Amino acid sequence: MAERMQLCNLSENNFEQCTKCSICTTVCPVAAVTTDYPGPKQAGPDGERYRLKDPAYYDKMLKLCLNCKRCEVACPSGVHIADIIQRARMRASEGKRASLRDTLLANTDLLGTMANMVAPVANAALGLKPTKLVMHSVMDIDKHRTFPAYSRTKFETWFKRHAAATQDAYPNHVSYFHGCYVNYNFPKLGQDLVKLMNAAGYGVHLLGKEQCCGVALIANGLYKQARRQGNVNAASIRQAVNDKRHMVLTTSSSCTFNLRDEYPAMLDIDTSDVRDSIMLATRFIYNLVDEEKIKLVFKQNYKRRIAYHTACHMQRMGWQLYSIELLRMIPGLDLQVLEQECCGISGTYGFKKENYERSQAIGSILFKSIEEARVEAVATDCETCKWQIEMSTGLPVENPVSILADALDVEATRQANGLK
Amino acid sequence: MRMDTVIIGGGLSGLTCGIALAKRGQRVAIVASGQSTLMFNGGSMELLGSIGGKTVTSPLEAIATLPQSHPYSKIGAGNIAALAASAKELLADAGINMEGNTSANHWRITPMGVAKPAWLTLSDHLRIDNLDNLPAKRVALMCIRGFFDEPNGMLAQGLRDLGFEVKAIEFTTDDITTLRRSPSEMRASSLAKHLGSNNALQRVADQINALAGDADIVLLPSVLGQNDDNDFQSLQAMARKPLRLVATLPPAVAGMRMQTQLRHYFKMLGGNYLMGDTAVSGAFDGDRLTSITTAKLGDMPLKADQFVLATGSFISRGLVADYERVYEPVLGLDVDADADREQWTRFNILEPQAYMGYGVATDGNLRCSKQGTTIQNLHAIGSVLSGHDAVKMGDGTGVSMLTALAAAQSILA
Repeated sequence: MAERMQLCNLSENNFEQCTKCSICTTVCPVAAVTTDYPGPKQAGPDGERYRLKDPAYYDKMLKLCLNCKRCEVACPSGVHIADIIQRARMRASEGKRASLRDTLLANTDLLGTMANMVAPVANAALGLKPTKLVMHSVMDIDKHRTFPAYSRTKFETWFKRHAAATQDAYPNHVSYFHGCYVNYNFPKLGQDLVKLMNAAGYGVHLLGKEQCCGVALIANGLYKQARRQGNVNAASIRQAVNDKRHMVLTTSSSCTFNLRDEYPAMLDIDTSDVRDSIMLATRFIYNLVDEEKIKLVFKQNYKRRIAYHTACHMQRMGWQLYSIELLRMIPGLDLQVLEQECCGISGTYGFKKENYERSQAIGSILFKSIEEARVEAVATDCETCKWQIEMSTGLPVENPVSILADALDVEATRQANGLK
Repeated sequence: MRMDTVIIGGGLSGLTCGIALAKRGQRVAIVASGQSTLMFNGGSMELLGSIGGKTVTSPLEAIATLPQSHPYSKIGAGNIAALAASAKELLADAGINMEGNTSANHWRITPMGVAKPAWLTLSDHLRIDNLDNLPAKRVALMCIRGFFDEPNGMLAQGLRDLGFEVKAIEFTTDDITTLRRSPSEMRASSLAKHLGSNNALQRVADQINALAGDADIVLLPSVLGQNDDNDFQSLQAMARKPLRLVATLPPAVAGMRMQTQLRHYFKMLGGNYLMGDTAVSGAFDGDRLTSITTAKLGDMPLKADQFVLATGSFISRGLVADYERVYEPVLGLDVDADADREQWTRFNILEPQAYMGYGVATDGNLRCSKQGTTIQNLHAIGSVLSGHDAVKMGDGTGVSMLTALAAAQSILA
């Protein structure tokens, strides 16, 4: 009885569990580089006590939080520190409009659709010095940043033209939540996934209707739109899982984390019924290999030295193990696993002029460790980490799925899995 | 996913065991539910500091007198010296330079200025071998203005009580003053991060050189080097007096440094460290544990031949007490604890508390049991073990490291 009484006294964010040990603050990448941010303990559980008394205690410096979730990973007491901070930001933004800059940055799919139509022009224009200076001074988008190049053909278009027709012939099937980055900027990653899954005997299918997962919308305070799009995605995922009995695979750690954990935590969209069916492709593939349901055969002459960077949201999900162990299966791949550090970009955060220097200061520890690893490329499951690391180290950054697809002996793998 | 050994718990004992196994070529995964209490460690390891309220000077001799229920007795009092030697070696391999030996305790200084017996102390931290023959007479205690984590007055008084002539000198630098803009976070770790960058160390050295006067030795709060002792070495090279660090209140930079170096070494040996994941249950087949399920790996359990429970005591939730009982929350293992709740605590918190001796029950080989059946492939190590009181006996870190190595030996045998 007494035990149950205590449970009734727990808040949704369980901030009462905080023992004030301050460990979260020691791992906060923002507090490490600026005194303007009070650190996760103060911004989270400590501040929440005051805010419950009076919302006027809200500290506007909470906007500096990256929502990287490293505080939650480090917390020995399981407090949802970053969720507390994000919820506080959400309450404080009620009734306020996001700026044009933030709205544009957050609408990755709108931006993508427009840019795809005029990709060569857009890429050229976005790369031009005058454009960058205008964006820097008028839009507050930092001039050092280069927008990821837009692809001329959307992934969805490529898929319909070149892949859709052959997918039904495979013995097994999965659905794919490709995300904005694959669709508008880098269809090759989606093509690599199709190549890999097909060789393993799995047909790949698009969802009935996919919209941007909304990770950038949440970060920029566009909660209503995020919830609207989230509901569309949740319905499409349910259709794939319940009607088609498909697993829904992804190739972006942040999209995955958003669909599985931020939908319920931030947007009150309950996805618990399908949560276990949404997963990164590397987790799905690792498990198939582990259970000897498929075989992967790799090229004989493949030889590369690559460093693996665990994206913050990847670590929050706890799934880096699958990507790392899959990559370790490739003979000839010398894999260096880096200490987990934040790269500093955090989606759209680092694109904003006011955050540029902080973003680079945060990432400096990671960039140094990459330099010291003496590798020819970096592997990571997050596309925004990719942009940041490529810009800051000059090394190419690839998704583990692309590395696997590249190292795969497709013909031998098809044969090993009983395909013609 | 299959491993040779899965270790539940990523603190000092889990990492020690993981390193010993990975070094011998085992495929090891450590499931770490957040950071561990190693983050609270001020830079020393202890073997045995006190028995029945009496200070221990020769730990090896004292260990031989411990009851059979104590973890040291289970791993064999005769094996302690050899295990302690390999523990020291393992720390050195991880880049953690510590000094001390098993034949005689030395003294570490707490942030409150109290001398406590210790086995090993980081070589850049203050260590006193003999209280009757202090390593220095005149001490300059450098106190950083606005710093939260060092009660300077108590520390200075404690050092004076030991016989030092102490001059407490408050100082700051321009950039440390800037750090104070965040008043709630003027903590040891923030300072360590800051002093590790730019030319901040030179400015601290300038202050020390200007203010230390005729001191024989300069003491500075332990705010240098979250990842290694390079910053200390740099500062020592710039300072004109011998320099030593003194422990601060937690989270302590020294503990963070040891945690980071051990984890880094474990990963370098090919170990998988699952940070921020929690073991939630296990599957048994008769008297064997076959797999554990974690919160994040979900429906893909971790399978292994051998398992190690290194989940820590109550503070780390390796043990849980509710209104009715004390239990082990992950696997529901048998525990040594009083059934009568009245017996758990004493009103005077300074007296020995019975609950501090509670823990999972193990056989002479550190193997756990469930409903009376010994689980053949499950060892328990560290603070989750019953039969010792880390607070009153000063044996916590020693039990963690030595039982970890003993379990590793047993697994590899």
